[in-house]
Amino acid sequence: MYRFTKTTLTGLIGAFAMASCFMGVVRAEFPEKAIEFVIPFGAGGSADIEGRLLANAMSKVLGVPVVPVNKVGGGGAVTYTHLKNSKPDGYTIAWASTSLLTSSGIGNIPFDHSALDHLGQVEFQPMIVSVKGNAKWQTFKEFADYCKANPGKLKIANSGTGSATHIAAVAVENAMGCKVIHLPVGIKRRNATVLSGEADAAVGPLTATRRLAKAGKLRMLAAPTAERNPVAPDVPTMKELGYDADLDLFRSLAVPKGTPAAVVARLKEAMVTAANSAAFKDLAKKNGFTIKPLVGKDFDQRLAKDGAVVISIMKGAGIYKSKTK
Amino acid sequence: MIQDAALGFSQASQFSSLVATAIGVMFGLTVGMIPGMTISTGIIIVLPLTYTLDPNISIALLLGLYVAGMTGGSFTAILLNIPGTPSASATAIDGFPLKERGEAGRALGIAIVASFVGGIVSFGCLYLIAPQLADLALNFRAPDLFALVLFGLTIICSFAAKSLIKGLVSAALGLMIVTVGQDPMMGTARFTFDNVNLLSGVHFLTAMIGLFAIPELIKSICTPATLMPETQKKIGSFWSVFPRLADLKQILRPMLIGSPIGSFLGLLPGAGGPIAAFISYDYAKKSSKNPEEYGKGSIEGIAAPESANNAVTGGALIPMMTLGIPGDPVTAILIGALLVHGLAPGPLLFLERGDFAYGLIFSFFFANIFNLILALVGVRLLVKLLNTPRAFMMPTIGLLCVIGSYALRNSFFDIYVMLAFGVIGLIMRWVDMPVVPLLLALVLGKPLEEHLRVSLISSQGDYSIFLQSPFSVGFLSLAAFSVLWSLVVVPWRDRLRAKKLEGPTSQ
Repeated sequence: MYRFTKTTLTGLIGAFAMASCFMGVVRAEFPEKAIEFVIPFGAGGSADIEGRLLANAMSKVLGVPVVPVNKVGGGGAVTYTHLKNSKPDGYTIAWASTSLLTSSGIGNIPFDHSALDHLGQVEFQPMIVSVKGNAKWQTFKEFADYCKANPGKLKIANSGTGSATHIAAVAVENAMGCKVIHLPVGIKRRNATVLSGEADAAVGPLTATRRLAKAGKLRMLAAPTAERNPVAPDVPTMKELGYDADLDLFRSLAVPKGTPAAVVARLKEAMVTAANSAAFKDLAKKNGFTIKPLVGKDFDQRLAKDGAVVISIMKGAGIYKSKTK
Repeated sequence: MIQDAALGFSQASQFSSLVATAIGVMFGLTVGMIPGMTISTGIIIVLPLTYTLDPNISIALLLGLYVAGMTGGSFTAILLNIPGTPSASATAIDGFPLKERGEAGRALGIAIVASFVGGIVSFGCLYLIAPQLADLALNFRAPDLFALVLFGLTIICSFAAKSLIKGLVSAALGLMIVTVGQDPMMGTARFTFDNVNLLSGVHFLTAMIGLFAIPELIKSICTPATLMPETQKKIGSFWSVFPRLADLKQILRPMLIGSPIGSFLGLLPGAGGPIAAFISYDYAKKSSKNPEEYGKGSIEGIAAPESANNAVTGGALIPMMTLGIPGDPVTAILIGALLVHGLAPGPLLFLERGDFAYGLIFSFFFANIFNLILALVGVRLLVKLLNTPRAFMMPTIGLLCVIGSYALRNSFFDIYVMLAFGVIGLIMRWVDMPVVPLLLALVLGKPLEEHLRVSLISSQGDYSIFLQSPFSVGFLSLAAFSVLWSLVVVPWRDRLRAKKLEGPTSQ
């Protein structure tokens, strides 16, 4: 018994010694422990489902666990604040989205997107203007003409004042050039209010609209974008209809400011590989978002462009309360 | 719809779902049995374990617990004359005398079978009514929903409070707490003092863990070490629990009274198990051929309340699933458990996730089947658990409270929130203020505000929008009626009673 214990002990010490030598060799190599993958929205929602799958795919590339953690609240503000206050070592990354721009604009975080470092975009999807399946408007033009004939009468539902869908709805309103009533009914009641007839239309992400549109309960009229989306090629864009509105819902990855360049490069590479993995592509096909990794300057451009759109729309609507210094 | 029902049935009858239901039932029988541990406390304890499970499996577990908790309460009511849950209070009236006559097994068997019948009848109601109600509720607009939530709030306050003032204070406190966090309409911060942790508000499950579990823990520290001495729980042989045919015939009528009463009262927010049990006991007694036996160990007196309190479960699931309105703390937690998985109870649940909605309904069915089998076979074993020293049980519960409140949002801050609500719960217990109105205000406060403000945005500030829809007018009248009832009719009735007692000359 005694001998056994001694042998075991020696063996253990040896193993530890070897392990620490080994770790010493690879210390420079990021990552060496689990990475926290913060999701700003609740379990079961599309941000959560997509984020979890991406985290899983990234974990396979990086060889360490990438652990999804939901930090919900304030339309993303809780997650972005947590990320900003985290150590810039690459072990905390956030599943950011257009909500970063909107929560900064409405003043729920006292900083803007430049306070974080960005790995880049993973995917995007258009936000769709939809009406009830049996509504009298067959096309967006009919809808806009009705609005012009009856200004201040049409009601458009969105997920909440200052959310990306509200910004898109205001963009649609501006493009039509007539007043509408915005109903900030929340994510869960957005489609329900159109189905009950309470709202005449809703603006919602494609992934949240597609299922009900397929079942004939909703009719997709247009997307406030420049290019037709491959997932819903039948839905005309506002640009081609002659209206000026261009705002997609993007999802991207962000890390704290000051994360070492080598770490950022490794994470970027993992992000792009994971985004193009078979599992993530399957999910994109099933749910209806478009995978389009954008890194470096390309993504900076997107942030700058979308940021300007959000700010100008918020200012126009009188809800711009940014606390950025 | 048929497809959804079939899909739901296959989900609920999966091996993993069935195992989860059975585990939930075992756990429910246990917590129901232990005096001082309510079904709410039991659900709070297992809740963190369900965060990581599939939604249909975790809901199967929780439903098993809900159903079996109602039955478990009757075990201690019969054996010790201490109802394990408030809903089993009426069962003790006849259950304990029957046990004193040496027929404990018979009493337990009757309670178990009556529970099963009540549960199955309410399953029928749930299956038939819920999809129809969901269809109807799809037409509800913001003013209708506001009126409905308001009605839910009034009826809860009038039922849950022994003292109206204390009940109202408790509810008002809940409504005030709800305003902390992001403004639901404007998206801006409200009463957060620039603390980002407060931006998402107080989660009602966090509050609930503190309000229910912490005072329970403190109380148990001040009570004796074991729950009861060995000698008090002689049940008899294994077969004594299985009811005889003659008994079954005799309890058919009280069960047929108790089951519909329970299902109906379950539908109404706020009524809940104890009230249903007493009403059906009373009614069964009044309409019985031999009412003089009631109170002395009549099996009818066990069957009526037991079928009623289990029938409440299916009834209470109807408004919870179709309208997202909880009728009692347990359904409030179930709403929270669904939301954790991103499934919002409400009319759209049947449209968008019909498979899940029917899966839930069928899990409820299986929970009742398991409850019958496991309770009949396992009651002799389960009762031994009453000897578990609290020294083992209570630290485990305390630990699970902390884990549960952290894991809900992965926020350490929420643990402090939970402990703060524990202190609030203790204070409320000391001043004898009911916590249920506070809890339900926490659940209903947000939809109340949202629907009110959406209505007014929609009507451009015109309050007459609440009088334009028949649904809204109907619910508002019900709300007014329920307030009048508890403010005017109940005190008047009490005064009248008091007068009768004092005699005509007084005053």
